[in-house]
Amino acid sequence: MKKLLSILIVTLMLVGVVSAASADVAIDVFQLKVEIDPMLQDFVQLYSSMTEGVTVTAETLGGGADYGGAIKAKLAADQMPVIYMIEGAGGYDLWKDYIADMSSCAWVADTDLAYYSPEGVPVGFPIAMEGFGLGYNADVLAAADIDPATLTTLSAVKAAFEKLDGMKAELGLDSVVSCGTSTSGGLWWVTSQHVFNAYYAGYLDYNDSSVYTDARAGVMDEERLTAFANYLDMLYQYSDPEILVNGNYDAQVAAFAAGKTAFITQGNWIDPNMAQLGAEFKMGYISHCYLEEPTQGLFMAAPSWFVVNSQATEEQQAAAFAFLDFMAMTDEGANYMVTEAGMVPAFKSVSLLPSGQFSKALVEASARGGNYNWYFGQNPDGFNQYTLAPIFELLAVDGDVDAFIADVTAAFVSIAE
Amino acid sequence: MRRRGWVDALFIFPCALAFVMVIICPFVIGIYYSMTDWNGVNPVISWVGLTNFQGMFSQPQFIYSFLITLLYTGINIVFVNLVGFLLSLLATSKVRMRNLYRAGFFVPNLIGGIVLGYIWQFLFNNVIYSVGSSLGIGFLSSSLISKPGTVIWAMSFVNTWQYAGYIMMIYVAAIQSISESIMEAASVDGASYTTRIRKILVPMMANAFTITIFLTLTTSFKQFDLNFSLTNGGPALRFMGKAIRSSQLLAMDIYSTANGLNRMAEAQAKAVVFFVILVVFSLVQVYINKRREVEA
Repeated sequence: MKKLLSILIVTLMLVGVVSAASADVAIDVFQLKVEIDPMLQDFVQLYSSMTEGVTVTAETLGGGADYGGAIKAKLAADQMPVIYMIEGAGGYDLWKDYIADMSSCAWVADTDLAYYSPEGVPVGFPIAMEGFGLGYNADVLAAADIDPATLTTLSAVKAAFEKLDGMKAELGLDSVVSCGTSTSGGLWWVTSQHVFNAYYAGYLDYNDSSVYTDARAGVMDEERLTAFANYLDMLYQYSDPEILVNGNYDAQVAAFAAGKTAFITQGNWIDPNMAQLGAEFKMGYISHCYLEEPTQGLFMAAPSWFVVNSQATEEQQAAAFAFLDFMAMTDEGANYMVTEAGMVPAFKSVSLLPSGQFSKALVEASARGGNYNWYFGQNPDGFNQYTLAPIFELLAVDGDVDAFIADVTAAFVSIAE
Repeated sequence: MRRRGWVDALFIFPCALAFVMVIICPFVIGIYYSMTDWNGVNPVISWVGLTNFQGMFSQPQFIYSFLITLLYTGINIVFVNLVGFLLSLLATSKVRMRNLYRAGFFVPNLIGGIVLGYIWQFLFNNVIYSVGSSLGIGFLSSSLISKPGTVIWAMSFVNTWQYAGYIMMIYVAAIQSISESIMEAASVDGASYTTRIRKILVPMMANAFTITIFLTLTTSFKQFDLNFSLTNGGPALRFMGKAIRSSQLLAMDIYSTANGLNRMAEAQAKAVVFFVILVVFSLVQVYINKRREVEA
């Protein structure tokens, strides 16, 4: 027995020596997009097998799980990943001591969506381009004799809502809009981040951040905010109240996919869900039209960025840069991002087209121009979730537009720098 | 035999070391962090004194979380113990299949809080709501966890469902330890069933009540997992002029401050306050209950 044990120990030690001798550079990716986890696993395996001396592993935590808390735990456990994700300025400020300069990477020149530090240094690799507007079911609109191309102003959208609302029985609709804003259902971000982004960015040039900058200084554009608040209230009034105040992501998406609603307030990430749920009708996007000025612009940006841990070893950082370059600049990388994961590529050299209808609508809108940026990711940590979200949920319950305007204004005054 | 101090110390050492490393050290470090501006990541930490402690009592969310936690704890102490006690009477009576009941009532306690929260979220939002609206029962025709007025009661209901079986087990053990002869003597003397319970069973079980009330008090006060998965703090409510989350109990408020707002030091300060309050409440409760215990 003793002999067996010593043989075992010696074997284990030998294995240790051998694996140390091959001097592999191991890098790990820690990311939060659950929907692309299997594709990413395949991709890192492919890369590891193609690249001598480098092993890449990927781990995913997301789908409502606490990604931010998990990285902190990894840091505390001294297992800080080499490549991880940030979702905007809040994340950058928190992690800036662990974020490497990527200006030496080839992919930087190939995209407009890299994350730049306040000093103008490229530090974040855009995962994809994502976008949203007000998604519509073209078949339902056609049955109600509404042309989505005409829905470019508030009054046109309002008229369409009224018409559809009157034809609900005939069209088999439960409600006109599928919208969710509940904290308990985990949909707080739909309205307080995405729909509200129309206030920050709508009707402005892509790089015009004036409204957002003013808001952060505590100055709200009253007219714009009032128009937005009334628009939001209208969306709420035409939504199924059960989904609005209780529903989760599945309930919201399923109602639209089943043709029970004509519109949905979600982005192109629901394409895979549409395929899973067998939704075969034609769909597309109109803008969030809360003013009378005609617009078709959609809200498009990179949702999150890969960053490289600057406290990792030189070899690990170099390997991480090479891995990201490979993802952005090669056919294998494009195949993973677009064909496998179904994302809209953030890189100009990628010519593949995603298959999802909403993603295609984004690509078309991108070619057409006149789209709007995202700013909600620049809010301080937790502001969207803990300060704005209850205000947006409260409007769904009590419909008090004036209180909503006062609350939102007070919220921005409270964080003004 | 002479006792040797260092031998005792040596035997205690492994346990004491573990206790110091995982309880005492983090506790002291935690008190230190509560007086800094640490965000959980930044290695540069500066001393801010008692600022974190002063700030929290002007936050509507924290005050509301505090009040709602007290209410939730109060409701739970009453319901969990009442239901647990009634179940224990049933499970120790002469009813057929009482062992099956004992096991059955205990089973919910074996399901983890997170899973349980999701199951009940589905039940509240879909099943109970559908039944309620198709039968036209007014107060069930919208989900009970979607209204600030009912959400705490719904959470207490689920907690009772989960926890009453466990408390029942403690009561069952206490009832079984009471000598049959006392109960028989009482019934020979003509005491009715309720009188026997009130005058004999309950006083004789006083030590069990000390334990069960302590357990329900501390677990309800520290409730997190069920809160997190069942309501996630929602729905929204206006309190002191601000929109806040109406079912965010104290433990979850601490968690949100630490991980959502990335204000780790402030969360730590809240945790210190939380600890002090919990200790005070539990000591008072144990002191009061202890006085009621009797010897047979």
